[in-house]
Amino acid sequence: MNDEQLLRYSRQIMLPQIDVAGQERLLAASVLVVGMGGLGSPVALYLAASGVGRLVLADHDRVEISNLQRQIVHDHDQVGEAKVASAAARIRALNPDTRVDTLDLRLEGEALDRAVASADLVIDGTDNFATRYAINDACFAAGVPLVSGAAIRLEGQVAVFDPRKPESPCYRCLYPAAHEGELNCAENGVAAPLVGIIGTVQAMEAMKLLAGIGEPLRGYVLYLDAAAMEWHKLKLKRRRDCTIHPASN
Amino acid sequence: MATVTFTPNLARWAETSAMDVAGDSLADVLEAVFVERPVLRGYLLTDQGALRKHVNVYIDAESIGDRQRLTDRVAADSKVFVAQALSGG
Repeated sequence: MNDEQLLRYSRQIMLPQIDVAGQERLLAASVLVVGMGGLGSPVALYLAASGVGRLVLADHDRVEISNLQRQIVHDHDQVGEAKVASAAARIRALNPDTRVDTLDLRLEGEALDRAVASADLVIDGTDNFATRYAINDACFAAGVPLVSGAAIRLEGQVAVFDPRKPESPCYRCLYPAAHEGELNCAENGVAAPLVGIIGTVQAMEAMKLLAGIGEPLRGYVLYLDAAAMEWHKLKLKRRRDCTIHPASN
Repeated sequence: MATVTFTPNLARWAETSAMDVAGDSLADVLEAVFVERPVLRGYLLTDQGALRKHVNVYIDAESIGDRQRLTDRVAADSKVFVAQALSGG
């Protein structure tokens, strides 16, 4: 690190759990953020601010005015732009240390597999179950940890699935299939600060995994009822009939 | 009696305030729930009585193991939490 970096990250470096070695791990890390909406916005901003070296932002949408209530990485003047371009501009302005690459497409198939395999960690901030399952499967095929978040109305969930750990459950262990219960923000609404809370928890978990500090939420789902402001930390089990890791069951 | 709480997302279909019900297994506990809130049966369980795949149930903060027959044990002071998958981002 140069002198400017030592100053920029000084408040993190002074934490004994992070120190210079942890900050250097963050600077060397590459994170794939899938979905630059309500969750992806705070995740990308916090990871960039904290010094993650490379962010790959994936989203195929354009910024709409109805996004601006909660998708805080985008500005009013960017309505109509690609979300990944809008987010990349903000992040580059925030921290020139962070290299930002963009994937302005619906990330699926081989492109998803390649993007996951080249990352140290993946953030799922998407808005549909089909993509969530695809990301989960790609992460477990490539052995890349996944920080999954979801938020709707006044409820949110965060979970860490880490295929590097032999007993780690995956998203399919949490919900074997979820299409019949599909809920999205466009039809059900979502409170703006809720996605900030959940996305920020995702960023914290990502930092812990990348820097090698603390106890990540591996094998747990953290559930928030924001109306009551009640948190539940719930332990997950690897399902015996899960299709993702049958050999180890 | 065990205390059963529900994700507020179920409030569109049923009353979701917490309930105290008796039962030694999850199947028994849910049957007691359905007596008072029958509309929840079809939302939580398949016609064969298995837990629907977008639903998860936790007993004392731990995910259940038997989604098919709901044989997980429930203690008199257990906390049962019924959650569902969320996809919004």
